[in-house]
Amino acid sequence: MSQIDIVIDNMTFTAEKGSLLIDLLIKHDLKVPYFCYHEALGADGNCRMCMVEIEGQKRPQIACDTLIKEEMVVRTKGENIDGVRRDILELELINHPIDCPVCDQAGECKLQDFYMDYGLYESNIKQSDKVHHRKHIDLGSSVILDQERCVLCARCTRFTSDITKTHELGIIGRGDHACVSTMPGKKLDNPYAMNIVDLCPVGALTSKDFRFQQRVWFLTSSPSICHGCAKGCNIFIDHNREKYKDETIYRFRPRENQQVNGFFICDEGRLSYKKLQDNRQLDMILNGKSCEEAEALEAYRNLLEAGSGKIVILADANLYTEELEMIQIYAQKLGATLSSPMVSDLDDAFADEWLKSSQRASNAKAIEKLGIMTDLPDEKIALLINFNHPNTVSIDAERVISFRTNQQKEPADLILPLAVFSESSGTLTNEDGIEQYCPKVITRNDPAPTVIEWMIRCQEEVE
Amino acid sequence: MSFEFTKENLEKIEALKSRYPSPKALSLPCLWMAQYQERYISLEAIETIGDLIDLPPMEIYRVATFYTMFNLEPVGKYHIQLCKTLSCALCGKAEMLNHLKNRLGLSPGESSSDGAFTLTQVECLGSCGTAPVMQINDQYYENLTPEKIDIILDSLEEGS
Amino acid sequence: MKACQIVSRKFHIDQSYRLETAKEHGAYNTLKEAFALSPVEIIKTIKESGLRGKGGGGAPAGAKWMLMPQDDERSSYLAVNCDESEPGTFKDREIISKDPHLLIEGIIITCYAIKSHDAYIYIRGEYYQFQKILQEAIDEAYTAGILGERVRGEAYRMDITIHRGAGAYICGEKSALLESMEGKRGHPRLKPKQKEPEWYFGNPTLVNNVETIASIPYIIKHGAEGYREFGTERSPGTLLFAMSGHVETPGIYEAEFGTPMFDYINYYGGGIRNGKKLKAVIPGGASTAVLTADEVACATLDYEHMRVVGSALGTGGMIVMDEDTDMVEALKNLLEFYHHESCGQCTPCREGTGWSDTILQRVLDGRGSSEDIDKLLELASIMDGKTICVFAPAVAIVIRSFIGKFRDEFEAKVTA
Ligand SMILES: Cc1cc2nc3c(=O)[nH]c(=O)nc-3n(C[C@H](O)[C@H](O)[C@H](O)COP(=O)(O)O)c2cc1C
Ligand code: SF4
Ligand code: SF4
Ligand code: SF4
Ligand code: FES
Ligand code: FES
Repeated sequence: MSQIDIVIDNMTFTAEKGSLLIDLLIKHDLKVPYFCYHEALGADGNCRMCMVEIEGQKRPQIACDTLIKEEMVVRTKGENIDGVRRDILELELINHPIDCPVCDQAGECKLQDFYMDYGLYESNIKQSDKVHHRKHIDLGSSVILDQERCVLCARCTRFTSDITKTHELGIIGRGDHACVSTMPGKKLDNPYAMNIVDLCPVGALTSKDFRFQQRVWFLTSSPSICHGCAKGCNIFIDHNREKYKDETIYRFRPRENQQVNGFFICDEGRLSYKKLQDNRQLDMILNGKSCEEAEALEAYRNLLEAGSGKIVILADANLYTEELEMIQIYAQKLGATLSSPMVSDLDDAFADEWLKSSQRASNAKAIEKLGIMTDLPDEKIALLINFNHPNTVSIDAERVISFRTNQQKEPADLILPLAVFSESSGTLTNEDGIEQYCPKVITRNDPAPTVIEWMIRCQEEVE
Repeated sequence: MSFEFTKENLEKIEALKSRYPSPKALSLPCLWMAQYQERYISLEAIETIGDLIDLPPMEIYRVATFYTMFNLEPVGKYHIQLCKTLSCALCGKAEMLNHLKNRLGLSPGESSSDGAFTLTQVECLGSCGTAPVMQINDQYYENLTPEKIDIILDSLEEGS
Repeated sequence: MKACQIVSRKFHIDQSYRLETAKEHGAYNTLKEAFALSPVEIIKTIKESGLRGKGGGGAPAGAKWMLMPQDDERSSYLAVNCDESEPGTFKDREIISKDPHLLIEGIIITCYAIKSHDAYIYIRGEYYQFQKILQEAIDEAYTAGILGERVRGEAYRMDITIHRGAGAYICGEKSALLESMEGKRGHPRLKPKQKEPEWYFGNPTLVNNVETIASIPYIIKHGAEGYREFGTERSPGTLLFAMSGHVETPGIYEAEFGTPMFDYINYYGGGIRNGKKLKAVIPGGASTAVLTADEVACATLDYEHMRVVGSALGTGGMIVMDEDTDMVEALKNLLEFYHHESCGQCTPCREGTGWSDTILQRVLDGRGSSEDIDKLLELASIMDGKTICVFAPAVAIVIRSFIGKFRDEFEAKVTA
C-alpha cells in the first residue's frame, strides 16, 4: 500500500491509500464525533455522527466508511457540517433522558461531550412523548444496562458476536423499539464481558463494581501493566486521593497495545485491583506483635545470624525484574539458595485462546531468564526469607522472615510489609518475551517499602 | 419444555439445505415451520433451530423479533389482521375496524379469552386495489364490508 | 388507449397458472431461442431494449446485468424481488398468481444470461396464498423437465427456491433482501464504494423485481425493437400500473409508459368514486411525492415526466384521493407506516420516523402549534441524505410534499 497526501481542513496529512478516513482523523485528534465506530470492531455506519464533507461529493459522507483516496479534500468543520451533526445529535437525544447529573457516565460520555460541543444542552423535547425503555437491567457479569440511555451503536453487541463470539447480547426488535438485550432468561457470561462498559460510548452500560463510586473527572489515569497472568495486559489505573484519605484505586481499564492485548483485558485482571488495597499487610510484626522499624531491623539481623545452616530465599515471580536481580545478588552474598517454586504450575482452568495465560505469574519469563531455580532443596532449612511468594508448599524452616504485600495465615518470626506493584516500579517480561516497564502509580500516606528499599535497609543493618 | 421439529419438517429442512450456499440461510424457513407447528415461536424452538443451522440462538432471536409476522407469544386460532394503511384507510378501514371490535369485543392487540381470535392491525397487505382488506391466518379477505365480515366470522365460528 | 399485454397477456385466461393452460398460450416458447443465443447476446438485447427495473427505482436492467461477472469461479445468484410492500403496489402478486410460468421462463433466461443456476424468489410473508400458486407452478415445471438438472434437455441445471419473508417492508430494499435471505435481520447494507454487483454469502448476485424478470421473455421473442414499440425513448415498454383509493374501478392495468395520468385514471379507473372531484394522487407507491389535481392533469406516466412534475414514477402504484380526503390524516397514516417499518439501524431514520409520527399525532390531538409543522419539515431535512438506505429520504419526500402542497390543511389543525 502506498502513502499519499490528502488535505483535511486545509492541512496536509500523509496516510495509507485505501485506509479508513476516520482512523486518520482519530490519530491526529481532528475532532469528529462518533459513536459506533471502534478500531477493534470496525465500521458499522449506524450512528451517522462521523459526517464530513468531501470535495466533489454532493452529500456529507460518514468518515468511518470512507477510504482514503488520492487528491481527497476533506472538511470536518464549518457551518454546514456542524449543522448536520447538530441535527443528528438532536435526534439521538430525542429518546435519551437528560439526566447527566445523576448519570454514572457523566464526564466520559460522548453524547454529553458532543452536545456540549454543539451547544444542545437545552433540548426542547417533551419528556412525556419519549419512548420509554427499561432501566437498570442486570445483564450479568457485573454489568448494568439502562436501555433509555443506549444510542444503539451496537458496539457491545458486536463485541459479544465478533470478538468473544459468545453471542449473549443482541439488538432485538425493530425501529425505535429496538434495544440491546440478552436472550430471555440468559445472562451475559464471558470472561471479558466488562470490556463492553468501556466500549459503550454513553452511560448505558455501567459496571456494578464501579457504579457511583467516583465521578470520573476526579480520577487520574496512570499507565500500568496487569499482574494477573503472564500476558501482561496494558492497563490504566484510575485512582484518586480524597481529602484526608489515602490514595485509592477505583478501577483498572484496558490500555491499547496491539503487540500485547489489543484493546481489551479480562474481567479477572480488571478486578484484580482489589488485591492492591484489600487486606494489606501494613504493620511490621515480630513474634506476633507489631513493632517499630528499628526493632524489626534488629530482629532481621538476629534471625540472619542466629546460627549456621541452610538459608533459602523464595521470590514471587510477580516481582519486577530489577527486584529479582537485587534479590539474586543478595542471595549470592548470603550463600543462600534462591528459588521461585510453582512457576511451573500452570493454571489451565484460567487460560484461554485469547489473552488469558495458564502462566499466572506475571514475570515468570524473568525467573527463567535469570536462571532462578523453581524447586526447593531437600535439605533441612535453617532460615527462610520469603519475598511475597504465595507459599503453598509447606516448608519446614527453623526461622522465617516474610515480606508480604497482603496478610497471610502462614506464621513467621518476622513479617515485613511490602509495596504492591502499583506502589513500586520496574520491568516485567511477558510470556512472549516482551519487556514492559511499569511505573510507580500510587504513593500511600504511609508507604510500605519496596523490595529494593528493604534490601538497602536490611543490608545497611547487616554491614 | 423442549422443542422438536416433526420428522416431516426435519426432512424439509435437510432438503432445503442443499438449495442454499449456507445453512444459515434457513433461519426464516425454520422459524416459519416452528410457528406452524406450535402456533408461536418458543425460546426452545429458537435453540433447536440454532443447533440445526449453525447459528447462535441470539442471532435467531434477533431475527424473530425483527419480523412482524413471527409471534413470540401464542396468538388466537384465528389471527385477524386488518390492513390500516392508506388505500384501505381511504376505502373504509375505520368502519371495518369498528365492526370487528364490536363483533369480537376486542381491541387491536387483544385475544379472545377462549383463544379463538386475535385482532391486530397491520401495514399494507399489498392488496390495495381490493381495499379494505384483512388477512386471517394465511387467507386474504378483500373488498370488505361489515356484512361480508359477518359472513366470514360466522363461518369461522361454526368451524371452531 | 393503446392496448398492451407484455406481462398481462394471460391474466384473463381461466386457470392460466397451470402449466398446461399456460403452454397452450405460448409459455416457455422463448427458451429455445434464448439458449440459441450466447449469454452476452442476451444481455446486449436487454440493454438495447432499454428495459428499466420495475421495482421502483427504474434502474436500467441491462447495465445491472453487465456488472455480473461472466468468468468467476464463485457461483452467481439471482434474487427475484417479490417483497411488494410499498403501499399502493400490488402488481407482482398478479404475476405470481396469474402467470407464474411467465416469471419462471424469465428467470431461466435471466439466469442463463448471468451464468447462474440458482434463483430465489423472495416473497413477502403475507402473500402465502399466492406463494402456494407459484410453488405449484414451480413443481409442475420440475416435473415437466423445465426446471432441474437439465432445462428442457439443455445441459443447464436450474433450481428455483422460494424464500418467504415474514413481515418487513424494508426487506424489499435489495441489500436488506439479501441479508434476510442470508437468514439475518433485514438491515440494508452500507453502499459499495464502486459499481459492483450485490452479493449473497459473498457471491455476485443480481436482484430484480418480479415484473422486470417477467418482461424478459417478451423482449427475447420480439427483440429490443419490439419492446421499444411501447413507451417513450427513455422509458421504453410498459408497466403494470396500479390504482387504488377513491376510484370507481381500482386494480392493475398494464399500460405503456408515456400515458397521461389523468387519462389512465379515467379510462381504467372509471374516474373518481361517487362523482367526487380529485384532490391528489400519490403516483408511484407511498414513497413518492404527492401530486395535486392540477399536477395530475399535466403528468404523464413515465420516468422523465414524473420528475418534471416534481415526483417519481416509483412502482407505478397510484393512490387516488378525492376532495373529501383529510391530507393531515393521510400523512399521519403514512408516517405510522414508516415509523413501524424503519429497520431502526441508523439514528436519523430510527428516531426521525418515530418523532415525526409523534409530532403529527400531537397536531391531530389538538395540542400542536405552527412550530410543529416547521419541526416536521426540519425532521424531513435531517432524514434526507444522511442514512444508510433511501428509506429515510423517501419519508422526507413524503413529508415535504404533503406539507408543501397542503400546508393550509395542516395550519387549520393547529389554529383550530
Ligand atoms: C425501502 C425500499 C423498499 C423497496 N421495496 C421493493 C419491493 O418491495 N419490491 C421491489 O421489487 N423493489 C423494491 N425496492 C427496490 C429494490 O431495492 C431494488 O432496486 C429492486 O428490487 C431492483 O429490481 P429492479 O431493478 O428490477 O426494479 C425497494 C427499495 C427500497 C429503498
Ligand atoms: S449499550 Fe452502549 S455500547 Fe451497547 S448499543 Fe447501547 S450505547 Fe452502544
Ligand atoms: S489476561 Fe492476564 S494480564 Fe490480561 S487482564 Fe487478564 S489477568 Fe491481566
Ligand atoms: S434509513 Fe431507515 S430503513 Fe434504511 S437503514 Fe437506516 S434505519 Fe434502516
Ligand atoms: S462512527 Fe461513522 S456512522 Fe457511526
Ligand atoms: S393499503 Fe391496505 S392493502 Fe395496501
